[in-house]
Amino acid sequence: MIANSDKPVVLAVDDTPENLDVVKGVLGDDYHVKAAVNGKIALKIAETQSPDLILLDIMMPDMDGYEVCQRLKANPVTANIPVIFLTAKDQDTDQAKGFELGAADYIQKPVNAMILRSRTKTHVQLKKNLDALQEAYALINAQKQRMQDELNVGKDIQMSMLRRDYPLFPDNDEFSVHAQLEPAREVSGDFYDLFFVNPAELCLVVADVSGKGVPAALFMAVSKTLFSARAIDDRSPASIMTRVNNELSKNNPSCMFVTVFLAILNIETGELRYSNAGHNPPLLKRADGQVSVLKKIHGPVAGAIEEIAYGEDRINLGQGDVLLSFTDGVTEAMNTENELYSDARLEAWFADTSGLTAEAWVKELVTSVSEFVGAAEASDDITIMALSYDTEPGEKTQDLYSITIPNELKALNSVVEGLEGFAEGKAIQPGVIQKLCIAFDELLNNIISYGYVDDSPHEIFVDVDYRNDELIATIKDDGIPFNPFMGDDPDISLSVDDREIGGLGIHLVKQMMDEVSYMRFTDMNMVRLVIKTTAQG
Amino acid sequence: MEIIEREEGEVRVLSLVGRLDTNTTPDAEAQINSVLDSGANKLLINFENIEYVSSAGLRLLLATAKRLKGSAGELRISCLNETVQEVFDISGFASILTVLATENEALDAF
Repeated sequence: MIANSDKPVVLAVDDTPENLDVVKGVLGDDYHVKAAVNGKIALKIAETQSPDLILLDIMMPDMDGYEVCQRLKANPVTANIPVIFLTAKDQDTDQAKGFELGAADYIQKPVNAMILRSRTKTHVQLKKNLDALQEAYALINAQKQRMQDELNVGKDIQMSMLRRDYPLFPDNDEFSVHAQLEPAREVSGDFYDLFFVNPAELCLVVADVSGKGVPAALFMAVSKTLFSARAIDDRSPASIMTRVNNELSKNNPSCMFVTVFLAILNIETGELRYSNAGHNPPLLKRADGQVSVLKKIHGPVAGAIEEIAYGEDRINLGQGDVLLSFTDGVTEAMNTENELYSDARLEAWFADTSGLTAEAWVKELVTSVSEFVGAAEASDDITIMALSYDTEPGEKTQDLYSITIPNELKALNSVVEGLEGFAEGKAIQPGVIQKLCIAFDELLNNIISYGYVDDSPHEIFVDVDYRNDELIATIKDDGIPFNPFMGDDPDISLSVDDREIGGLGIHLVKQMMDEVSYMRFTDMNMVRLVIKTTAQG
Repeated sequence: MEIIEREEGEVRVLSLVGRLDTNTTPDAEAQINSVLDSGANKLLINFENIEYVSSAGLRLLLATAKRLKGSAGELRISCLNETVQEVFDISGFASILTVLATENEALDAF
């Protein structure tokens, strides 16, 4: 007889061949019945052929049914095969012993064909359902693992967007700063940023995007990029906030938003200008120990409503002052009694703690919050930034030349003449000013000649910042998007007859400046040039 | 733009004053062309009083050199300051034009 592989497999175990024949007779049409005349054979078949059901006699020589059942259940390969005891015994105690060993059911001998058929059918079906469930469960686990892996990758990418090259700004004696983000879930919506917008001004950002998970992380990435891009060419926190809010709000179908504290610190004068978009007010601890809250909120959360004009405030930091910015993950951290860490607790901690470095302020606060939370699960991202101002504020040394010109070539004269006047009496070598004049001539000529597609008047903004033995020049125009530094360099080895003049001006600029860069904003080109004022070759 | 013009034998000497950039080049171009139109074929441009030259000025020098070459004439340039010398070096003009340190050397080179 050829086994039909579609039929469920039933293993019948009995030391009496006649009994096996009975089972075959009853189940043979619907099942592939395998027979074993003792426990040892039964275990072997069970392990190698994975039957869907085992009908097991109890009273057998050598190894009785109980022991067979026990061994089946102890072996992971056979543990899930349902076992039905077939026995002449009918005492309750025996049945109880069978169930204890993991049997699925009992059928009494002499076997009633109908009962055997129906119970076999039931348990084979149950086994199939169980198998299907386990398969589904394994599949779900695999999917879950894959999602987890992807979230971990997302977390790595996100964390890599944050400055973690501690200690931050080790070369600056004027201040020390430390920032840390502890994500509650794999990817988070908090972020912080720290960067110099020019050699004297440090921009600090602490922010919290609504929601958590992947959408918040994506919005975080966009927000962070917009803030750093805007801050580079804009010296006002209010203006940066206003412009970034407009960009975030414009195309925001998922209605996400971000709370932001953004400040620009002049590291020489200690002046701190800041704007707060619906964010937790930072704390300020003066050198004398007095703690205050920078309470002022200058506008709603960013990304929610277009055309909001944000405000800004300014304070002056003195030597030994500490600014502590954070996200609501700190104050809303919850312990097992459902109590919040709270603003009051934070302020008290800040007032009672003293003499720490920026890094220690952050770490001590992380410790304080995690001790408070105890065994409770972290509910939100925690971001903390501490800035300690370490110098006696100096006089403002900023030295700036600014001129706005119309888009007319003859206006170039006023730019270079103004620059020459600005440089007079300063320790700037004349060659440096000449080179910058050439750069202005080349770049402004390009903008005025090719940058505009209409005939309307336009303004071009030129700024030159002189500090730390460098001139940093920016040219901003609202012409067509154009990166002057993108083109190929000209071939300067050709003879008089073959020389083309195109591209030469930009080549001069690139060679003569120490740094050139270009950035495009929504409605503006910005070129930035840096040239050192000393040690010219 | 101020240009002082004189003759040294058969050489026309043009001394440029100020800067040679977008705004001054058209003026310089007109004056150089009028000198060439008058039949001068040996031209010395003295840069002693030139602060700097931008690519607009280089363009004029290239056009002048091409025009003189076409009429078998000669162009010499003298007295570059450090910045102008660097512009000539970067642009490759130092090797395609004949540049001399002093006016006398330039006159002797014709």
